[in-house]
Amino acid sequence: MSQPAVLQLRQELRKCFQSLKENQTVWKGVLEECTPLVSSLRNLAEQLRALKSVEIANTPLCTFPNLPERLQHKLLNAVDTVLGELSEKVDALGSVRDSVSKQVSAVFQMYEQNSDSLPISTCVARSALSPSIADMLEWLQDAERFYRIQYIQRRNLLQQLKPDDLALIETVTKTWTSLYSHKGEEQISGALLQVSFFMESD
Amino acid sequence: MDDATTPGRKGNLTGSARKVKDNAADWHNLILKWERLSDEGSSIATKIVNFRLSKDRSVKDPEVMMEGQISSAAPEERRAYHSNPELEEECTKLQNIVDKMAHILSKMEKMVSSEKGICELETFQYGENGRPTPLFHTWSTKQFAEVSSGLYEAYKQELALKSTILQEVAHTTNPDLCMVYLSCWLYQPYIQDNTKLLLESLLMETGYRAV
Repeated sequence: MSQPAVLQLRQELRKCFQSLKENQTVWKGVLEECTPLVSSLRNLAEQLRALKSVEIANTPLCTFPNLPERLQHKLLNAVDTVLGELSEKVDALGSVRDSVSKQVSAVFQMYEQNSDSLPISTCVARSALSPSIADMLEWLQDAERFYRIQYIQRRNLLQQLKPDDLALIETVTKTWTSLYSHKGEEQISGALLQVSFFMESD
Repeated sequence: MDDATTPGRKGNLTGSARKVKDNAADWHNLILKWERLSDEGSSIATKIVNFRLSKDRSVKDPEVMMEGQISSAAPEERRAYHSNPELEEECTKLQNIVDKMAHILSKMEKMVSSEKGICELETFQYGENGRPTPLFHTWSTKQFAEVSSGLYEAYKQELALKSTILQEVAHTTNPDLCMVYLSCWLYQPYIQDNTKLLLESLLMETGYRAV
């Protein structure tokens, strides 16, 4: 009985890594698209701060009626637009998370259902071409956790924002950049490298 | 003249309707041109500000160091401070942009006065209440004149703002004020959303946009 279960599980693992690979590309792309948005958000916050710190009445602009209010209105509108776009991007990150979670939990479910016919020795066995089932399951779980936590952190960050709180916008844009985890991304790429032969084999 | 009262029949508009419709198209084109110039000017203004700010920094730094070292660096910096052909060139470019915008504004002004003229003509032809049926869909001729002058006022104020920025931007050392100049230039505070709405309604009324 054990042979078909192992084959089936390995097939499912292959599928899961394939989808992880695709999702990783999507994730990276979405994060890249966020970079200009975050920097324009920071820039807008700077403009709003400059506007607040300048006494328009003491400048050559003093003759223009309601200038600070009008400019502020325009800048806040722009902040709104950027936040809207950013929130769409975070939604896209959310669907990457969903897709990875779904795939990974399907693999685990299959593993649990067949755990009787998958002795430890089979699970930890590895070869030159294929990492062990246990390792692969662990990598998948790590990847799933990485996307889950990254998504929640970024979503929370955006939810904290209020357009009239300049200091907050400035901190949030900094935090956004610092959330980027080189290590986390590397780990996923590393896992994908390690399974590359496994994915090509049948 | 009756043809003119039928909306949607292109090509055979005459008289006031022809003029009003042409003006609407001109509004659209002039505003597009304006936006292009404004974008172009925005990047030039940013360059000017960066010049100013970085120059300030580079002039201040050697001055701090000058106490220890007397020699070569300082005079060079001085010269850079007194005349900077690159900065001047950018200022000239910005001046050109503002001049072009002023030209656009003068065209806008002509349209406003021509529409005022059309209104006066109608008062003369039909009396105080104007023509019995609208030129296009629903607007009275007076409304066209009002929209035109509303748009004109917004752009007039904006040009005044941009001219002020042009005069001041290269002479300001306060980085915050520089930033405010740049945001004013870019975000055009006197062109509000309702300005765009006015333009769109004008285009819709005259049949350029589908209702």
